[in-house]
Amino acid sequence: MTETVREQNITSDELSVAATGIDLRLPFGVALIALACIAPLFLGNYPLHAIIIALIFLLPAHGLNLLLGYTGLLSLAQAAFFGVGAYTSGLLAVHFSTPFYVNFLAAGVMAGALALPLGIPALRLRATSFVMCTLGFVIIGQAIAKNWISVTRGDMGLSAIPKPYFALGPASFTVSGTVRFYYLALAIAAIGTVIAYLIVRSPAGRNMIAIRENETLAESVGIPTWHYKLVVFMISAAFAGFGGSIYAHYLTVVSPLTFQMYYSTTMLIIVLGGGAGTISGVIFGSLLFVGLSEALRVTPELRMIVYGLCLLGLVFWFPSGFAPLINRFWSFLERRK
Amino acid sequence: MTGLPILEISGLSKSYGAVRAVDSVDLHVERGEICGLIGPNGSGKSTFFDCATGLAKPNAGAVKLDGQDITGWSLNDIAREGRMLRSFQKTVVFSALDVEENLVIAGQMFTFPGILSTFGIGSTAHNRVAALRERARGLIKIAGLWDVRFMPAGKLSGGQQKLIQFASMLMPEPKLILLDEPMAGINPKLIERVVDSIRLANTSFGVSFLIIEHNIDVVTSLCKRVVVLDQGRKLAEGTPDEIVRNQAVREAYLGG
Repeated sequence: MTETVREQNITSDELSVAATGIDLRLPFGVALIALACIAPLFLGNYPLHAIIIALIFLLPAHGLNLLLGYTGLLSLAQAAFFGVGAYTSGLLAVHFSTPFYVNFLAAGVMAGALALPLGIPALRLRATSFVMCTLGFVIIGQAIAKNWISVTRGDMGLSAIPKPYFALGPASFTVSGTVRFYYLALAIAAIGTVIAYLIVRSPAGRNMIAIRENETLAESVGIPTWHYKLVVFMISAAFAGFGGSIYAHYLTVVSPLTFQMYYSTTMLIIVLGGGAGTISGVIFGSLLFVGLSEALRVTPELRMIVYGLCLLGLVFWFPSGFAPLINRFWSFLERRK
Repeated sequence: MTGLPILEISGLSKSYGAVRAVDSVDLHVERGEICGLIGPNGSGKSTFFDCATGLAKPNAGAVKLDGQDITGWSLNDIAREGRMLRSFQKTVVFSALDVEENLVIAGQMFTFPGILSTFGIGSTAHNRVAALRERARGLIKIAGLWDVRFMPAGKLSGGQQKLIQFASMLMPEPKLILLDEPMAGINPKLIERVVDSIRLANTSFGVSFLIIEHNIDVVTSLCKRVVVLDQGRKLAEGTPDEIVRNQAVREAYLGG
């Protein structure tokens, strides 16, 4: 795992050389955003649904990338915070009929706040024990969702969670239908991506990389590594909580199955497959792996087998994910005549 | 050089099981001094460093930095609040990052008032980093690393990495630097350069030093006072000349 992360750093964008000729990166980026904006014009509901799921999973994946790709901490707890966010939003919407932005913010804040008491003991553990501990959070989360029946309705789950609606004074607006939901998910994913980008570009991002590279050395230059790990753990949990909130409002049901290891591994595959320690790699990873998983629903019997084979191929041919390829592509755009 | 010592360590002890790695050692470093710490392999020098800088917790003893008791502080607190920095025996740099980034990282926590402020993206944060970059470039020039400043630090030679590490420690205007074998494993040509950098930092920036070093020529040329450890205990203390003539020290080194 760490090997993959290490290899990644060398191909980071810091190494790009001086540009000659026209820099095509900005136009290309604008074209991609434009393409994302007009996608509903030429995509049917099913592909749009797949992209919505990918955009929702992008948020916890960004969170995990901050933790794993930048700070070097492998956590399987993303599904737990994803579930906390989903239940927080679902309960608020069902019991108090609060507007979407309230549920959404509450989900992120709740997950982030819960990460504080969970992170304090967990982050004291060494690498492998920390991974096992975060795995435990998912299992405990599921057990609570199943058994705290008076609140969570147990295995029946929460149903009839309303589609997101915004209310400002007398005006209200409900996001119904796949196309509208697509734009909502796209906007939230875009904001999440910008925030993740700002974090990794800030001085704190540099300190996170320092911790990943060599924790003792980071300590020796005055970086309070433990506090940073705790803060990043909370931020990554908040990202997962936000993702869980949209997920609840999109599916309109939340069940104990929201807390499942499958989601944590999906997020891990997105980050490692896309390229840990890069923002663009994670975006590519979420579109590819969630898209692939949804697309394979055409052959339900073979779906997981094919998915597994694809992952095996990935590990053999692209051991550090697609980030090196993406970086090469970016520098190709940069240097074009 | 009058006044309080910059570093005053008394009765420092550290045991690993039945082994007393450091056994009630007293040591002080005067303000502006370059003090040497020598001893045969396994005499407890590095353990002593680890205990003094918070990397390991001593079983007993007190560490006073600039009059303040810092016993039990963590490594990062001692670096950040105490401005006492240390190097490691095995050269370490942030190998995937370029030389300039290495130095900027080394200065960040001394420029930003807290963790949350480092998440800042406004002009304050930007100006702080720009100032750090400026200082880093100046030190990179002095260290003679200008041509390789955008190379990943891990791709450079051992000697160059030592220089990066040394330059990094000068980023925050330190009070005291503890060097653990700064000359080990570097090209003899670079030894002169490292010795000159230490002397320069001492005279022009007023940094005090405590240096573990096996190369006796380097110790003799840099230090006015040398402390000798043997089997975890302080064996002798004096000028390099006195130490070289000391019978007990000779026996310790010859295994007598």
